[in-house]
This record gives sequence, C-alpha cells and structure tokens, in this order.
Amino acid sequence: MASRGGGRGRGRGQLTFNMEAVGIGKGDALPPPTLKPSPLFPPLEFRPVPLPSGEEGEYVLALKQELRGAMRQLPYFIRPAAPKRDWRRLPRELKIRVRKLQKERTTILIPKRAPKTPAEKEETIQKLETLEKKEEEVTSEEDEEKEEEEEKEEDEEEEYDEEEHEEETDYIMSYFDNGEDFGGDSDDNMDEAIY
Amino acid sequence: MTQAEIKLCSLLLQEHFGEIVDKIGTHLIRTGGQPLRVIVHDTGTSLDQVKKALCVLIQHNLVTYQIHKRGIVEYEAHCSRILRILRYPRYIYTAKTLYSDTGELIVEELLLNGKMTMSAVVKKVADRLTETMEDGKTMDYSEVSSTFGRLADTHFVQRCPFVPDPTDSADAQPPPPAPTLSINEKDMYLVPKLNLIGKGKRRRSSDDDAAGEPKPKRPKQTAESKEPIPDDGIYWQANLDRFHQHFRDQSIVSAVANRMDQTSSEIVRTMLRMSEITTSSCAPFTQPLSSNEIFRSLPVGYNISKQVLDQYLTLLADDPLEFVGKSGDSGGGMYVINLHKALASLAMATLESIVQERFGSRCARIFRLVLRKKHLEQKQVEDFAMIPAKEAKDMLYKLLSENLISLQEIPKTPDHAPSRTFYLYTVNSLSAARMLLRRCYKSIANLIERRQFETKENKRLLEKSQRVEAILASMQATGAEEAQLQEIEEMITAPERQQLESLKRNVNKLDASEIQVDETIFVLESYAESTMKRA
Repeated sequence: MASRGGGRGRGRGQLTFNMEAVGIGKGDALPPPTLKPSPLFPPLEFRPVPLPSGEEGEYVLALKQELRGAMRQLPYFIRPAAPKRDWRRLPRELKIRVRKLQKERTTILIPKRAPKTPAEKEETIQKLETLEKKEEEVTSEEDEEKEEEEEKEEDEEEEYDEEEHEEETDYIMSYFDNGEDFGGDSDDNMDEAIY
Repeated sequence: MTQAEIKLCSLLLQEHFGEIVDKIGTHLIRTGGQPLRVIVHDTGTSLDQVKKALCVLIQHNLVTYQIHKRGIVEYEAHCSRILRILRYPRYIYTAKTLYSDTGELIVEELLLNGKMTMSAVVKKVADRLTETMEDGKTMDYSEVSSTFGRLADTHFVQRCPFVPDPTDSADAQPPPPAPTLSINEKDMYLVPKLNLIGKGKRRRSSDDDAAGEPKPKRPKQTAESKEPIPDDGIYWQANLDRFHQHFRDQSIVSAVANRMDQTSSEIVRTMLRMSEITTSSCAPFTQPLSSNEIFRSLPVGYNISKQVLDQYLTLLADDPLEFVGKSGDSGGGMYVINLHKALASLAMATLESIVQERFGSRCARIFRLVLRKKHLEQKQVEDFAMIPAKEAKDMLYKLLSENLISLQEIPKTPDHAPSRTFYLYTVNSLSAARMLLRRCYKSIANLIERRQFETKENKRLLEKSQRVEAILASMQATGAEEAQLQEIEEMITAPERQQLESLKRNVNKLDASEIQVDETIFVLESYAESTMKRA
C-alpha cells in the first residue's frame, strides 16, 4: 500500500506512543543496542547471602545425604536390567540358575497392593509372550493379575536365567545373595559414594 | 506442569528411584493419565519393568489409578507430590523436634516406604532404636506404639484409603480390574487396638529371627513372621499437609516475634495451636477464639494477667500487618488469625528480599513502593522514592525486564492513543510469585545437576577412598598394628586428600543450597495455593 513506503515516507521515525510518558525525554541517550543473547553466566553484581549454618542446618543436611543413600539401598530403587544374552551361542553352564526361593520372596512386608516384585527375571522373548498370553486370559483385577502371573511363573518356571553384569547388577542378585560372595558383591553394588 | 517442574521431577525420581522409574514417571507427568499398554508402547520399556516402576510409584503415593469405562485402568502422576521429596529431611527433622528420636524414625520409615502397617513400623523402629542403644538395653514396642498414637492424634500420620468390605451384591458382579479405595473422614486417624508386645532386636549376623527385616541373607522364614498380622490391610502414610500447616504456623509465629516481642508470639502460637485441628489447612481464617479461651489455654509458664492479654490482643489486631483480626466482642473479644494475609505478607517479604539481594537496596525501595501503592506513574515513582530520575528509570526498566513489575495502560480517550494514555507501574503479586517459583525449580534442578557432575568427575577418587576405608575398618577389626594402618592411610596422597576435602565441601554447599531454595518454594507455593483457593 502507498502509505507503507518501507519507512521512507512521512512519519518515519515516529513512534506510536508518547515517549515522555514512559520516561525517555528528548535528546536522552538510549541504551546501547543488544547485539547478542545474554551470556550464559551473567556477571553477578551482588554476592549471595551466606547459607544458614548451625546445628539445625547441619543436621538437616546430614539427614538429606543419608536419605539419598538409604533410598538407593531400598528395594524400591530399580536398577536397569542387564543385557540379554543369546544363549544359543554360549555354553549352557554359564547360565546361572536361581535356587528355589519363590515362596519366601512374596511374604516380606509388602502391602498387598504393591507387591515388591522381587520375582524379577531376565526377559527373554519367550517370557514376554507367555506374560501377554496370561494377561489376555485372565480378566480379573489387574493387581491380582500381577500377583497371579508371578505365582504362575514361579510355579511353572523353576529355572530362569540371571546374568551377572559387572557394572549394573540387578537388584535381584543382591537379594538372593546368601552371603557366599559377600566381598565380591559389595564392589558391584556401590555405584558412587554417597555424600 | 512447566518445563522446569518436569525437569526437576525427573531428576528427583532418577536420584531416588532409579532410571526406569524416572522414565515412566516423567512420561506420565508429561502426558497425563494413561493406561498400562500405552505407557509400555510409548516409553519403549518392557512390560515387566513398567509394572515394577508403577508399583513403586503407587506405593509411594506418587501415582494414582482410576478405573474408566470399559474396565481400563488409567494411571496419573502427581507432579507436586514428587516435588515433596525435596522436603523429606525437613519433615523428619520436625518430627524429631516434636516427638524426639522415636517420632523421627517413625516418620522416616513412613516416608521411605510410602505406606506401611502400624505393626511393621513399630517393629522396624524398635529394632533401629535398639541398635543405637547401649548393649543390653532394648526398646519396648509399647513405647513406640504410644508415640505412633500421639502422631496419629495430632494428625501427622494418617490412614491410607482402603478397600471397602465387599457386600453381598458385589459377589454377583465380577470384581473390578482395580480396587476403588475410599476412606471416611473420621476413620483417618483411628489407631487400631493392637497388642504389640515385644522388644526391639539387635541385628546380629548370627541372629536367626531378624523379625520384620527382609534380609536377603536369611531367606528362611521363622515361625514368628508366619503369624497373621493383626492389622492387615490398614496402612498408614505421613500426612504432608499437616506438616505444611506446622511450617506455616512456625513462620507466622517467628514473624510476629520479629515484629513485636516474645509474648505476642506466644499468644499467636497458642491461638494457632488451639485451631490446629478445627481449621482445615486451606481456610483463610482460623475459627474465632474468644479472649477467655485464649487466656485459659496459655502455656503454664506464662502468667500474664487477663488485662495484659487483652492489651496484647488489641495491639495485634491493630497492627498494620493484620495477622490477627477482631471478629466480634462476645466472650471478651473474638479474635481470628488471618492466615491468607499472613501468607501473603510472608510471600511479599520474600519477594522484596529477593529484589534486594539481586538488584540492590535502591531497587528494593522502588519495588516496595510500587507494591504498597499498587499503581504509580513514572514521575510519582521518582518523587516518592527520592531517587534521581535517571537512576529510577534505569531501575524500573531493569525490574520490568525481569517481569517483576508490569505496566498497566489506562486510556484517557476511547481510541487508546498512546500520547493520551496513562502508563502505570504495578506489581502483580501472584504472577511475580509464580515466576519466582519457576525460577526456584530451575535453580534446584541446576544444583542437582551440578552435584551429580561433581560426584561423577571424582568418581574414581571416591571409589578409591571407599576401598581404603573398608580395608582400614576390616584391619582394625582384626587388630592390625599402627604401622600397617599408617601404610594403608598413606595410600591416599595429600593432594588427593585435598581434592576429596574440596569435593565434600562443594557437595555440602550444594545440598544446603537445595534445602534453602526449598524453603523459599514452600513460602511461595503456600501463597499461590491460598490465593487460588480464595479466588
């Protein structure tokens, strides 16, 4: 349109609002234009106030660090599963069989709504299929489903594979540990120091 | 859920529950309610892992489930509840101050495990306390039970909703895919009558009956744990709202103590204590209390006369802070505590302090001015604040760019011509508080990341020091000589020791900062919640 001459016609340089109202008087120097985004760590003009120290502060701090460490050791901390191995290519004797401790596992202090599924097994493709099949068959409560599945699995499959992985041991490994390789395990399970 | 909140939740879940729970939890926060299948499909984790993760999350009250039509169960994550993990140490410390070590351990066990039955808690706590006591002494179950009862009476722990008893008609229908849990208001704090007799046990490696301890080394179950648990199905959880109420009361009392004197703060504390159970946590006012009642309930040590009490109450009611208000004259004067106003004042004080520490005291003066006067023009700001025009302008624009102050346009003419419009500076408290809250979340996320980075950098060194400590401990146990111990200690060289020291210092500082920022979050969040509930 004619009136919009690319900023070259009349009225160039006029702003839509009255500058004085906002406080920029005529002839005042404008602040320098910003040519780049603000720095990632802008310089601090004022130093922050020191943190509260004292008995309470230190106690709460110690509590916090202890809690962090404690929560890592609880069974609620789920470690990622060890990788699947193709058992067709490896000698059978390397498969680790777990002792028959199924029944005891589920009778620890667990609220019935959330079975601390200690019956963690390494997933092979077979197991997933059987799980899904069972899920489709059983139409009752979903929670009971989980328990049923575990019980069924425990009954049917007595041997299953467990793999010991150097860095990330399944929490189940430490769970079934009956103290034989105490010294060895402690290295495996301590990922980092808890401060 | 803002991005900052989601990031922080993800970090917290990862630190406390592992990566798998983190992945599932974050996915649920981002996408809202989802059924199991969809979660499995979207996150790409196996069905088993997803189930485990969901169990853990539900156990800790971080995720709830609902049955929808066609029998599909949907899971929903609660972002605000996940953020409470930051506050666990504060809750435990509060329990310690109120109910000493026993209370502290009870609350700690409940927080770490999410939900537990009373008998399980009592056993565990008794065992833990026995460990710390001297040889030969044990902790009685009855003592722990009585502390538990007191915690329930003051509403610090509450029952979890439970499955209602099945009625006859329900037998005809097939049971639903997930139980619908409900709880009666009056049942929430009922302590079951348990006859818990026993004492705590020390955990010795040769002990066969480490009752209640799911130790992996003792897979054999003893006869003791085969008994039916008398309070099966009655689970308890920590009542976080009550703790928040306590924190709020504490800050109000200390604010009054700072502004006036010790006696007035004691009066306010008494009033708050009397309304603890009668007022719900989100009410804007407490129930009106008569001056006679307050006089009767004052703590025993304070023997001030009724007249003096009345004078103090009048002073408090007339104070411009308006923490206490007079609502009537019966019974010697009915007084209420303005909870909403108190929270608002605390939040504004926090805002002012933030502005002062970040931008300087002159900016803080301008900010306080605009806060009090609500709307001011440019010229008026310069006049009232007694700051030269150029500097005042500069500071106002700085605050404006940080979104702490906003411009309000008031047109004089219907065509909103800019030359004929008033531009007023104003502070929108709620949005400023929210903006700072978002910043707090981001700060804590940064702090956690930095701490993880620091620990990862020095991982090798930390592992080495742990090994050395373990060797030292074992050698000391077997009675090694001084020279050998010295040798082992020297395995860590002096510069390494220094590095460890500085690492420890940094990690402590980062942790303490997290705790400090969490306190700010509490004040700002309470204010935001209270304003929303009011509106």
